[in-house]
Amino acid sequence: MFGYYFKLGLRSLRRNPLLTALMVLTLAVGVAASVSTLTILHMMSGDPIPEKSNRLLVPRFDNGPLDGWAPGDEPSDVQMSYPDVANLLKSGQGERRTALFGIAGPLEPPRKDMPAFISSGMAPTRDFFAMFDVPFLHGQAWTEADDARAADVVVLGRAMAEQLFGDADPVGKQVRLMGSPFTVAGVIDHWNPRPRYYKLVGGNTFGDADDFFIPFATAIRHEADNNGGMNCSSKREPGYAGLLASECTWLQFWFETRSATDRRDLQAWLDNYAGEQRKLGRFKRNVPARLYDVMEWMEELKIVDNDNKLSVWLAFGFLTLCLVNTIGLLLAKFSVRASEIGVRRALGASRREIFRQFLIETGVVGLAGGVLGLVLSFGALALIGMQGKEVAAMARMDWQMLTMTFVLSVAAAVLAGLLPTWRACQVTPAIQLKSQ
Amino acid sequence: MEIRPILSALLRNKTGPLLVALQVALSLAILANAVYIVNERRAVIARPSGIADEHATFYITARNLNSDGPEQRLATFKREAELLRAVQGVASVANVSQMPLSRSGWNTSILLDQRQQRENASASMYLSSDSLVSTFGLRLVEGRDFLPQELVDLDEKTQDRAPDQVILTKALADKLWPGASAIGKSIYFGRSVEGMSSRVVGVVERLQSQSAPIEEKAEWSVIIPARRYGDTAAMYAIRTEPGQRDRVMKEAESALRKSSATPMILEMRTVDQDRQTRYRSDVALQWMLVTVSLLMLLITCSGIVGMASLWVTQRRKQIGVRRALGARRIDILRYFITENVMITSAGVFGGVALGLALNQLLVSKLEMARLPAGYLVGGALLFWLIGVIAAYGPAWKATSISPATATRSV
Repeated sequence: MFGYYFKLGLRSLRRNPLLTALMVLTLAVGVAASVSTLTILHMMSGDPIPEKSNRLLVPRFDNGPLDGWAPGDEPSDVQMSYPDVANLLKSGQGERRTALFGIAGPLEPPRKDMPAFISSGMAPTRDFFAMFDVPFLHGQAWTEADDARAADVVVLGRAMAEQLFGDADPVGKQVRLMGSPFTVAGVIDHWNPRPRYYKLVGGNTFGDADDFFIPFATAIRHEADNNGGMNCSSKREPGYAGLLASECTWLQFWFETRSATDRRDLQAWLDNYAGEQRKLGRFKRNVPARLYDVMEWMEELKIVDNDNKLSVWLAFGFLTLCLVNTIGLLLAKFSVRASEIGVRRALGASRREIFRQFLIETGVVGLAGGVLGLVLSFGALALIGMQGKEVAAMARMDWQMLTMTFVLSVAAAVLAGLLPTWRACQVTPAIQLKSQ
Repeated sequence: MEIRPILSALLRNKTGPLLVALQVALSLAILANAVYIVNERRAVIARPSGIADEHATFYITARNLNSDGPEQRLATFKREAELLRAVQGVASVANVSQMPLSRSGWNTSILLDQRQQRENASASMYLSSDSLVSTFGLRLVEGRDFLPQELVDLDEKTQDRAPDQVILTKALADKLWPGASAIGKSIYFGRSVEGMSSRVVGVVERLQSQSAPIEEKAEWSVIIPARRYGDTAAMYAIRTEPGQRDRVMKEAESALRKSSATPMILEMRTVDQDRQTRYRSDVALQWMLVTVSLLMLLITCSGIVGMASLWVTQRRKQIGVRRALGARRIDILRYFITENVMITSAGVFGGVALGLALNQLLVSKLEMARLPAGYLVGGALLFWLIGVIAAYGPAWKATSISPATATRSV
C-alpha cells in the first residue's frame, strides 16, 4: 500500500498547486536556514581527527606569579613557557610529543626572477607529522638527529612547494628562509584541517595551511620571533636568551599516548612534575596540572563562537514558525477533502488506513521541501562563503548534512502533518455521504 | 461591540486561531531579539577608531632583506620615513608598532602600585618615536602631546626601560582614576621593570585597540613615546591629503623600493580594509538576521491571509444569512477585522512573554545583552498593524458575498 499512497501523495501535489507550492516553499526556506547555519556549526565543531582525538593531549600548567591568584582559580594561561616545554620534550612521556610555535619570516625563492615574500609556518618536532597524520607528497619528515642538532631543514606545504619549484620534486634543494639556507626534507600533500586544531592559540584558526615547517630546535637556534600571542606576567631580561629563561608563556605542546587509558599515567606524571616545580619554587600557584584531548581543548578555547550558536538557534526558531505555518496550510488542504475521506471510509477503509495515507502524503510534501531546501541551502552557503576564504571553507556541505537536510525536512513535514491527519481521520462517513 | 459572539465563535473552533496566534507569537519573539541584535551590532561597527580621517590613512610594513646591525637599521628607518614624508600628497608620517583594528599587536598590563595584587587594566600598547597625535589626528582632551625631546629610539635587544611619559585614552584614564584628572599621575607597566613609573602627560579622546572587542576594553590604549628597533621590519602610518590615498600608496611603494639596494618586502593596508576585515562576521550576522526577520514577516503574513481566507470560504452561508437579516457590509468587515485583532492580540501577548524568555536564554547561554522593552512594544505595534492589513483583503472579499447566492442552497 505504501507505493500506492506515495503515488497518491505525488498526485495530490498537483491538485491544489498554489497551496502546495506555498507549503513546499515555507518548509524549504525553514529547512534551508536551519541546515546552512547548522553546516557552519558542524564544520567548526566536528572532530577533526576522530581515530585518535582522545589520544592527542594538551598539558596545561599555571606558572604565574602568586599575586593576582586566589586558591581555586583555574589556570589562566593557555600556552607554556620555554623551560616547561624543554622539560616535557626531554621527559620521554607519551608515545610521541611535540612543542610548537608559529613563525613568520622572509622567504627568498631559489629562482631569481621571483621576489622575496613573507611566509608563515610552524616550528614543531619531527613527531608532529606522525601525530597529526600529515600526508607527504615527496620526501619525509626530518630525522630525530635533525631535531637533536637543530639542523637547517624544512618541510614545505604543497602550495608553497609548487609556487617555488613547480611540479618538480624539491627534496634536497635549498631555500633561503629568515636569511639562512634551508635544505628541503619533504613536501606535505594537501593537508589543511579546519579548524587548525593543532594550533588553536594565536589566531588564524580557520586559515590556510602553513607554508613551511622547520624543527623546533632550529627555530630556537635562529632566534625566530613568535608569530602569535605571548603573555609575560613577571620580570624578564631583554633579548632572546632572556625570553627563553623567562616565565613568559608563548609555546604550545602536544602528547600522543599509545591508548586512551595511558592518559591516567600521563596525568600522574604531570602532577608529579608540577609538584616538583612547586618545590623548586618555579611554580608559585598551587594549581593542579590539566590535560585536554582534542575535543576538550576545542571546547575549552571556545572555537565555536556565540554568534554561530545564535544563528543556529534563531534558524531553528524560524523553522518552528514555518512548521506552525505548514500545519495551518495542511489543515486547509485536508479540510476540502472531507467528502473523499467519507467515501473511502464508507467503502471499508479503516481510520488507520486514512491516517497512513495522509501521513505519507505529508511525507511527500516534506521530500519536495527537502529537495528545494537543499537547493536553497547551497545558495545560502554560497552567499555565506562570499564573506571570505576562511568562512567559505566552513560553508561546505558534507554527506552528513545532506542526509540531515532530508531527514529534517521529512520529519518537519510529518510532524506538521500529525494534527491535520488526525483531524482528517475524525470525519464521519455518514454526514459526508448525506451532503453529497 | 460584538466581542462576545466573536469570542464564542472562536472558542468553538480553536485550532486555526491558535495556529495564527502561535505564528504571531513566535515571529514577534524572534523578531524583537533579532532587530535588537542587528541594532547593537550596527552601533558596534559604527564605533570610531580614533583615527580622524580613516579613508585617508594607510600603513606600510617594510622589511629589508639585508644583514645590517641594529644601528644601521635605525638609520635606514629614519631615511625611509623622510622619503615617505617627501611623497606629494602626504600629510603626516609616523613610525608605529601597531594599528587600531588590525588584529595584530601587543597588550600590556598596567598597575597603579607595583605591590598590589591584581593588575588594574590590560591596555593596547602603541609605540612610536613620532607624534601619533598628529598622524592619527587624535583629539587631546587634557594635557599635551609629547615634546620632541621625549620621543626616543631604544635598541630592543639591550635597552629595556619604562618610558618617562605616556599618553592614555580617556576610557583608560577614567578606568584607572574614576572621576579624577589623570594628568601628572603615575602608572607601572606590569612588574617587569621594577621601580620605574611613567607619568601621564596627556589624555586623548579615543584610540581603539588592535582587536577592538565589543567591550569597554576596546578603547583602553596607551601611547609610549619610544620606538624599539632591532627587528628587520618597520611600520609606518601615513595620513594623506583627502582623496589622494590610492595615488600616494603607489608612489610611496616605488619610493621605498628605489631607495634600497637589497630586496624589500612591502605590505600595505588601508584602515578601511582593516575595518572591513574586523567587522566582517558582524556584518554577516546582521545580514542573516535581517533576512530571517523579513522571511518571518512574510510567512506570518501569508499565514494570516491564508487562515482568514479559509474562514471566509467556510462561513459563506453564515455571512449570507447575516447580510439577508440586515447586516451592512461594514458590519461584516468589522466582524472579521475584530476577530483578527483578537487573535493577533493573543499572539502579541504570547510573543512578548516568549521574547523575554528567549532573551533570557540568550543572556544566560550566549552572553548577549538584555533586551530593552522598546523593542517588544515596537514589535507588538508592528504585528497589530500587520494583522489588520493582512486580514483586510479576505474581510473585504467577505463583504462582497451577495446574500442571495450565499443563502440559495440553505
